[in-house]
Amino acid sequence: MNLRRILTLSSRELTLAAACLVAIIAFSMVSDHFGTATNLTTILRNSVELLLIGLGMTLLLAMGGIDVSVGVAMGLAAIGVGKVLAAGFGALAAALVGPLVGAALGIVTASVVVLGRIPPIVATLGLFGVFRTAIFLWLGGQWLSGLPTDLTAIVSSSFMGVPLMAWTIAAAYLVIWVALRRTPFGPHLLAVGNSETKARLSGVSVRKVQFSAFVINGALCGLAATFYVATYRNVEMSIGSTLALEAIAAVVLGGTSILGGRCSLVGTVLGVLLIRILQNGLLLVGVPSLWQTVVTGGLLIAVLCLDALSGRMPVSIWRRRPA
Amino acid sequence: MALVTARNVTKRFGALTALQGVDLDIRKGEVLALLGDNGAGKSTFIKILAGAHSQSEGELRIEGRPVSFSSPRDAAEAGVATIYQELALSENLSIAENVFLGREITRRVLGVPFLRSRAMRERVAELLEELDAHISDPAAPVGSLSGGQRQAVAICRALNLNAKLVIMDEPTAALAVAETRKVLALTRRLAERGCAVLLISHNISDVFEVADRIVVFRRGRKIAERERRATDPEEIVSFITGAHPDVRALEQANL
Ligand SMILES: Nc1ncnc2c1ncn2[C@@H]1O[C@H](COP(=O)(O)OP(=O)(O)OP(=O)(O)O)[C@@H](O)[C@H]1O
Ligand SMILES: [Mg+2]
Repeated sequence: MNLRRILTLSSRELTLAAACLVAIIAFSMVSDHFGTATNLTTILRNSVELLLIGLGMTLLLAMGGIDVSVGVAMGLAAIGVGKVLAAGFGALAAALVGPLVGAALGIVTASVVVLGRIPPIVATLGLFGVFRTAIFLWLGGQWLSGLPTDLTAIVSSSFMGVPLMAWTIAAAYLVIWVALRRTPFGPHLLAVGNSETKARLSGVSVRKVQFSAFVINGALCGLAATFYVATYRNVEMSIGSTLALEAIAAVVLGGTSILGGRCSLVGTVLGVLLIRILQNGLLLVGVPSLWQTVVTGGLLIAVLCLDALSGRMPVSIWRRRPA
Repeated sequence: MALVTARNVTKRFGALTALQGVDLDIRKGEVLALLGDNGAGKSTFIKILAGAHSQSEGELRIEGRPVSFSSPRDAAEAGVATIYQELALSENLSIAENVFLGREITRRVLGVPFLRSRAMRERVAELLEELDAHISDPAAPVGSLSGGQRQAVAICRALNLNAKLVIMDEPTAALAVAETRKVLALTRRLAERGCAVLLISHNISDVFEVADRIVVFRRGRKIAERERRATDPEEIVSFITGAHPDVRALEQANL
């Protein structure tokens, strides 16, 4: 294993890390509260769900896929976790329900996209509508709130001075990194992202790769749901409504190609941090929270424009690369 | 006995008949050249052999056993390696990743297949050496290689499969003279190893240099089959263009 190569960051990742630093310094100068340990911890805490979902989205974009239903998938899994908590089944059951429901939703999405041969953007938009309504029906028009505290230990406990949530994210990152760089899954996924036809002609089981990526993505959305419920102990109707946009923006910021074939996990982590730092900082300097999605959407469009202009992407993104 | 026997192979794309009742034998240790005008059905025929298309009608046998490939993976497992006209390499992956794509060397730890990257890189270095291909950075993405270098990578893939049948669809179309020589020499060497080689080319002099037998397709039909020794470039060209009296007669009969 080549340690140097692992530690070497691409110029994109360095730029992003620098952007995070600049944002931190700038906000600290304008706001007294921004640089405090409490606030920085809050930023990290607010990044947890987006980090997990961003890792899954990285896999999807890398293979030329996408999922715009990640937020509502997390919402559905969160209701599952909440209901199990409320029914008094205890912490372990509640914690596991998240990833299980998430993986099940992932299987639904994968079946629609892969077996139905529907372009992922359209299929997941359709599922977004279905899941949205499912959330409403399952909640019965009422928020889940004041849930039991069984899962609070996940939020408060730490191991060797590092919070359990950070360990879990690190573990998820490591598993995905190993899958991408040390097992055939990585080259297969990137080959599918480059060209499905060529990957198939080379003997890659394209459907298996696509199916796996959507199921992993679903399980990560579900894991995010467990952390969400553990922290906030409630599930509101609008849960996860901005997550899909934020995840796609973070992943693209990080240097993963929106057209597939190239990905960066470090980039995704930095992209998530940058988005959360900007959102927190802008709020502290008095920008109304309504503007948060404008900033995220603007970032996404700006980075796609810059990539297109700098030749990182084929001139026309309207037409997919020829097979 | 023939390695591959094709009988009455027909392929329709909707209303278009790209192949019509093709009978063909491919023997071990021979280079069989497949010629024909643009759109004659050559690529379609080899895509059926390679498992990328399935035939609408007809039968394929390998060493006497009927086969039916539902994917390129099936065909590769039956010993058919294909170098496609459009190469089918993944431009974003390295040479070694391309050579081993879909059949990586792995070591299982707790059921997880870990890539044996070093073993694969070493094997690829050997293959490139054998091909006499000079590539300075084997870790570079294939998209950054020249046409000839990409061809070498595609040939490495085929060699690495230890295939019984190697299919090459216009392997020299994009190559300079020196690289073309190398690929042709390699084609002969594959045949001498006991492989059957099916070569598609528009270059008649290349074909006459390496082929043992020549087959001509026209408008989806096999219209001629000749031992190289029993024919000459002029006759083959007249088959391809349809100027040959036999072709005229055949086409009259089919009208
Ligand atoms: N996937 C497909 N769908 C529909 N028609 C096809 C398809 N592939 C090939 N064809 C048609 O089948 C016919 C034979 O094409 P094929 O590619 O086999 O020709 P070829 O002999 O390889 O020609 P060339 O020398 O130009 O490579 C052509 O008319 C082509 O348009
Ligand atoms: Mg062709």
